[in-house]
Amino acid sequence: MPGEPRAVRVLDTCAEPDCLDQVHELLEQLWEDAPEIPAEHRMRFELAVAEVTANIVRHACGERSGNEVALELRLLLFQDRLEAQFRDTGQAAEVDVEAVQMPDELADQGRGLAMARVAADQVAYQRDGEVNRWLVVKRCA
Amino acid sequence: MEFDVENVDGGRAVVAPRGRLNMVAAPRLRALIARTVDDGHRQVVVDLAATEFMDSSGLGALIAGLKTARQAGGDLRIARVTPQVAMVLQLTNLDRVLRPYDSVEAAFGAR
Repeated sequence: MPGEPRAVRVLDTCAEPDCLDQVHELLEQLWEDAPEIPAEHRMRFELAVAEVTANIVRHACGERSGNEVALELRLLLFQDRLEAQFRDTGQAAEVDVEAVQMPDELADQGRGLAMARVAADQVAYQRDGEVNRWLVVKRCA
Repeated sequence: MEFDVENVDGGRAVVAPRGRLNMVAAPRLRALIARTVDDGHRQVVVDLAATEFMDSSGLGALIAGLKTARQAGGDLRIARVTPQVAMVLQLTNLDRVLRPYDSVEAAFGAR
């Protein structure tokens, strides 16, 4: 998609549960750059970003501990959308994101990626050599 | 995330999480609700007024708690949801299974 971002916020961390708070703090910084974005868009974007982050923390480590898996998150504010670009050095995600569905109503787990997909406009995953790349897009125009 | 628990009379309890209800806090909420029900407080209201953020893990903990309470012959209701939590319930169409009440009293009072 064309256009230069108006603002970029970057977090370099590792795939441990503590990174979740860091991700929320990074989002707070982005909202300072974009106070005009309505609450609904912010909440949806934040939810999708948090769900993808949790998915990475939960599944990317494999045999390694979380502090051995690097996670970089870039949040970008464009004229018409918000983007979250994730890059982690964990194991490949064995998931077909396009095929993810909500489980049954009374399921008490397994909703994470489905939640991200309904909250955002696009959630994509790609294995790129030795790293994983996730993308979350929320349109704001 | 911290949890305040208040045991009311007649087998009722109010659990009030404070902070972010995510993969870090969710297992603790599950365990707390299980213990609360096990102690005989089978009517549980989760007061979400101080839960600023909830994700699918947190939602899963609420559903697990609901099942635990119902299996014991009780129930679990939620009250005073923040806009973010209301949004999560709407996105998942779970606002009928976990209907948000305006107050803890209303949550206990409803049939």
